Amino acid sequence: MVHITGNKLRRLAATIVAGACVALGFGGSAQAGSDIAGKKVIFVPISMGISLTEGWARRMKEHAAVYGYSFDIRDAAFNTGAMSELLAKAISEKPDVLVVHNPTVQLLARQIKQAESQGIKVLQLNLQSNQPSNAFVGANWTRIGNDIAEDIVKECGAGSGKSGKVAIIPGQLTAADSVMMNDAAFKVFKEHPEINVVSNQASDWEPEKARQITATVLQQNPDLCAIFGHWDVHTIGAGNAVKDAGLEDKVLVYATGGGDTVTCKAIEDKVLDRVWSYDADGQGRDAATVVDLLLQGAQSSDGSMLTVESPLKIIKAGPDYDPSLCWKM
Amino acid sequence: MADQAQLQPVRGRRGRRNLLEVIVLAVTLALIPGFATLGNLKVILSNSASLVMLSCGMAVVIISRGLDLSIVAEMVAGATTFSILIGAGVAAPVALLLTVAVMIMLGFLNGWLIAYVEIPAMLATLASAMLITGLFRFGILRGEYLLLLPKTDPAVVFLSGNVFPGLTVPVALMGATLLATWVLLNLSAAGHTVYAMGDNFQAARLTGLPVRRVTIVVYVFAALTALLAGLVTSAASGTVDFRTVTNGTLLFEVILVAVLGGIPLRGGRGGLRNIVIGIALIAVLRNGMTLLNFTAQTQDVLKGLVLVTAIVADNYFNPRDIETDTVGDL
Repeated sequence: MVHITGNKLRRLAATIVAGACVALGFGGSAQAGSDIAGKKVIFVPISMGISLTEGWARRMKEHAAVYGYSFDIRDAAFNTGAMSELLAKAISEKPDVLVVHNPTVQLLARQIKQAESQGIKVLQLNLQSNQPSNAFVGANWTRIGNDIAEDIVKECGAGSGKSGKVAIIPGQLTAADSVMMNDAAFKVFKEHPEINVVSNQASDWEPEKARQITATVLQQNPDLCAIFGHWDVHTIGAGNAVKDAGLEDKVLVYATGGGDTVTCKAIEDKVLDRVWSYDADGQGRDAATVVDLLLQGAQSSDGSMLTVESPLKIIKAGPDYDPSLCWKM
Repeated sequence: MADQAQLQPVRGRRGRRNLLEVIVLAVTLALIPGFATLGNLKVILSNSASLVMLSCGMAVVIISRGLDLSIVAEMVAGATTFSILIGAGVAAPVALLLTVAVMIMLGFLNGWLIAYVEIPAMLATLASAMLITGLFRFGILRGEYLLLLPKTDPAVVFLSGNVFPGLTVPVALMGATLLATWVLLNLSAAGHTVYAMGDNFQAARLTGLPVRRVTIVVYVFAALTALLAGLVTSAASGTVDFRTVTNGTLLFEVILVAVLGGIPLRGGRGGLRNIVIGIALIAVLRNGMTLLNFTAQTQDVLKGLVLVTAIVADNYFNPRDIETDTVGDL
C-alpha cells in the first residue's frame, strides 16, 4: 500500500507521479499494473460531449487500458436528476473508485458521503462539492477569480481612463466555480471602489442566454469595460454580443476554460480576449494518476482530501497570443 | 340576442385585462432606468425574435386545441441540420431547402401521430421531443451537445446581419412570421378550420371539415417557425446548443406567451393580437429583470408567478365548457 504523508498532495507531487506513470506506464510495464488490474472505476460527468470531459475521459481511459482496470462512463447529459440516479446506480455497483464532476456544491454531497461510508474512494474532478472526499483534482477557482479580478482592476480601474464597469456572467450561482470565483473577485473589487459591477446574472451555461444578457447590459452600459464570463463556452455568446455591437476593441471579454483549440479559435475571432485555462488535457492526466494512486490505497495521513491543483495557462489576444497554449482533442 | 348578451361581460373583462397589461407595461417603462430608449427597444426586438417565431407556431397549435412540446427540440434540430450542411460545404440555399424538408417531416410526424394514430397532442409531442433530441444529439452529433458556428460563414453573417440599416434580418424574419401567422389564421380555409377544431373538435369533425389534414398543416407550420427561430438564435450566439432543450426554460416561456396573451389552452380563440401582447409582456419582463440585475433564480420565480397568475386568470375568463371538453384535453 502506498501511504502518502502530509496534508495535501500538491501540484509538484502530481507532476512527478504523472511523469513517472507516463515514463513507466505507456511502455506497458508499469509496476502498478499488477496491483490494480481488474479493479473498477466509474466516472459520472455532468455531460460528455464537451472537450473538458472528453479530454479527461481520454486520459483516464488510457491509464485504465495500460493498468488493466475497468473504466466506465455514466453520462448525465446535463440532467441533474439523471445524474443523482446514475450516481446511486454506480454506488450500488461498488466500484473501487468513483470519479464525480459536481454540477453544484450541494447536489451530490449526500451521495459522496454515502459512497465513502461504503468504502468506495471518491475523486472529485474540477468542481468540488461541500462534502470533502478522498481526493480532488482541479482548478483553484479562488486563485482564478482573484487573478482575473486583479487583471480587470489593472485594465479598468483607477488610472486606466475607463469606466470601471464590469459585467459578470456566472454559469450557475450555486456551481462551485461560480461561488468561489465570485467570492474571490468581489473581495478584490471591494478594495477598488472605482470598479462597478453592473450585472451579475447567471447564464445557466448557455451561450444564447449569455448573449441576450450581454446585449441588454451593453445597451444600458455602452461604456462597459470588461465582461467576466465564468466558462468560455457560454462566454462565447457574450463575446458575440460584444462583437455584434461593434465593441470588440473596447470591451475586454475574460473567461476560464479547459483551453482546447476552440478557445484559441474564439480568441483569434476576437470573441474572447483573455482566457485562464486550467488545461483539461493535463487535468485528465492528473486525474488518471490520482485514480491509479487511489486504487493502490493512497490516502493522506490524517484522512483529509488529497488535492492536486491544476496549473494555469493564460491565453491572451494581442502580440503575446500563443496558439500552442491550447490543446487538441 | 341571448348569446350576445352573454358574451358582453366576457368582452368587457377581456378589455379590462388588456388595460391592466398595458398599465403594467407603462409602470415598468417608467420605473426602470435605461428602459425607455430606442436602443433598448432594438435589443428587446432582437432578443425576442426567436421567441416570437416559436410563439406564433405554438399559438396556432394551441388555438387548434393542441400543444407542441417538441417545438424547442425542433428548433435545435433545424439549426443543427442547417449548420451541419453549411459546415459540410453545401451552398446555403440548398442547405436551407434540405433543412425545410427535414422540418416538414418532423412536423408531419407530430401531426400524423395526433391526427391519425390519435395520441393526445401533449404525449405525442413529448415523445417526439425526446426522439428528436436523442436522434440529433447522439445519432447525428455523436454525443456532442454544442455545435459552434463560425461567425465568418456567409450564411451566419446574413442571418445575424441587416436587411438595410436599422432593420436586422432576425427582426425582418420575425415580422414575416407574424404576417404568415395572420394570413394562415385569418385568410386561409385551414385557419378557419383551426378555430373550428379548437372551439369544438367533434363538431368540426362531424361537419366534414378536414381536421386530420389541418392538424398536419398546423404541426408543420409550427416546425417551420421553429426552424426560423433556430436559424436566428444559432447565428446570433454562434452556437447550436442542445441544453436549450434539456435544461432551458424556453418552452416554458413559449407557453407563457400564449397564456399571458390570452389564448386559452383549450383552444378556439386568440390571434395575432394575443401573441403580440404576450410577447410584449414577456419581453418587457425579461428585459426589465436583466436591467434590474435580478439573478436567474429570481427571474424564474417571477416568471413562474406570472404564469400561475395568468393560468388562474385564464380559468376565470375562459371557464371550461363541459359540453365540448373531452378526455385528454388540458
